[in-house]
Amino acid sequence: MEAHISQEQADEYAIGALEPEIERLIALHLAECPACRDLGRDSERLALTLSLSAPRRSPPRSLRSRVFQSAGISRPSPLRRAWVLGRAAAGLVAVFVAIAAFTGMVSVRGQIDQLRVDNRDLQGQVGRALSQEVEIAALTRRLSDAERTAFALDQTTSEDRDLLLALLSPTSVVAEVVSVDEKSTSIGRLVWDEDQKRVWFVAANLEQRPAGETYQIWVSAGGRYVSLGTFNSDSQGFARYGTTLPQGLKTYESAVVTIERYGGAPERSGPSVFVSDLSRFRR
Amino acid sequence: MTLRGDPGTSSLRNMTGTGDIPLSPGDDRAGRRIWTDEALMAAVVIRDPLAFAAIYDRYAALVYSASLRVLSDVHEAEDVTQDVFVRLWRRPETFIAGRGRFLSWLMSVARNRAVDELRSRGRRHRREIVNGDSLEDDPSALVPAETDDPLLTAQLHEAQKLVRAALVGLPAEQRRALELAYFGGFTQQEISLVLHEPLGTVKTRIRLGMQKLRRALENRV
Repeated sequence: MEAHISQEQADEYAIGALEPEIERLIALHLAECPACRDLGRDSERLALTLSLSAPRRSPPRSLRSRVFQSAGISRPSPLRRAWVLGRAAAGLVAVFVAIAAFTGMVSVRGQIDQLRVDNRDLQGQVGRALSQEVEIAALTRRLSDAERTAFALDQTTSEDRDLLLALLSPTSVVAEVVSVDEKSTSIGRLVWDEDQKRVWFVAANLEQRPAGETYQIWVSAGGRYVSLGTFNSDSQGFARYGTTLPQGLKTYESAVVTIERYGGAPERSGPSVFVSDLSRFRR
Repeated sequence: MTLRGDPGTSSLRNMTGTGDIPLSPGDDRAGRRIWTDEALMAAVVIRDPLAFAAIYDRYAALVYSASLRVLSDVHEAEDVTQDVFVRLWRRPETFIAGRGRFLSWLMSVARNRAVDELRSRGRRHRREIVNGDSLEDDPSALVPAETDDPLLTAQLHEAQKLVRAALVGLPAEQRRALELAYFGGFTQQEISLVLHEPLGTVKTRIRLGMQKLRRALENRV
């Protein structure tokens, strides 16, 4: 539609009196032609007056809520408003409670800080006490070790004294002990105190037996070997072993030191280290 | 209603002008009542439900009355009114302020929607409209529908009186042709058929009726 529309056409268009085809053409033209659009607006305003002529009726009040509901615009219900108010009131109360709690918390916080200080002091004291306990335990251990050492030294001293007395006794004899290994530098002596029924074996440069092994000393009496006990040398290669002679043992031929398993063997079975001739001690 | 000249000189408040949109945080629905239609629609575009509520409260009675005038059925008129406003909320951008006044657009939408509903009924119901008399001398027809704005209600009532007077002043056949077209949704050819009048006669009646109506209302409504 190239020509401008007339006032008559604009009026017919505004009141919807045109056939649909012509109505579409005019609508397209009005959309593109500013001059005719002004004409069309004027006719629309006139047509609007026709709508004003309709008897005025108020829509039912329920229609408003229907429209809003249908449009998806929700208006808070009384229950919802009450809930919101209640929530606001609860929030307000919560604020007061929070303020009161905060005020109380200041006091409580001071107490907590003091408790923390006290706790730190207590922890320090406990720490110091624990340290002292540890020190005491260490001291106790050292004392215990010292006591054991003192006991061992006392026992050694006692045995040394007994050995010394045996050597000084006129009834005692000292037997030479011969190393089985000619290359060995080990030396030993057997001190025999018949009156005290005691016997000592003393050796030097004697290799210390490893774990699981021990030296065992035997005496031969009547063709059989009787164990006098087990011993080991110290890290310096020194060994001193004293024991009581077995009851009923009347004759002795020889003494032998063998290497046996730790704890000693019921029968002589290990290799010999020393051998001593005791036949001259026979009484 | 001003039919020519400066649109800002309309005697109906809020029907013209664009104005700024007061959207300060303190604004509420009462505040929006003084906004222009265009300002309210601009707010509706940005999903302001209070602006939509203000538009509904301002024009629901007009839309409902026009729909009822077309359909003569309160339930259908309610449905059309609901549909018009829901569409306005969902697609407010279909109103373009630069192409005309909001009220003209709104009533055009309402009239077209009601006529579509009327046409969907079929020929039988439209016959009833042809036989009816629209401008009955019913005093209640002039009772202004309530709006939330007393001044607007009074202005609309005054405009309605003037329009009805202008229509009554038309020859009956001219008024009938206009009403059949506008409220009945009949085209000129259909009016010619139902009134058993030549098409040219119908066209002349409509043309003359509109000319007289324009003269009668110019600078008065």
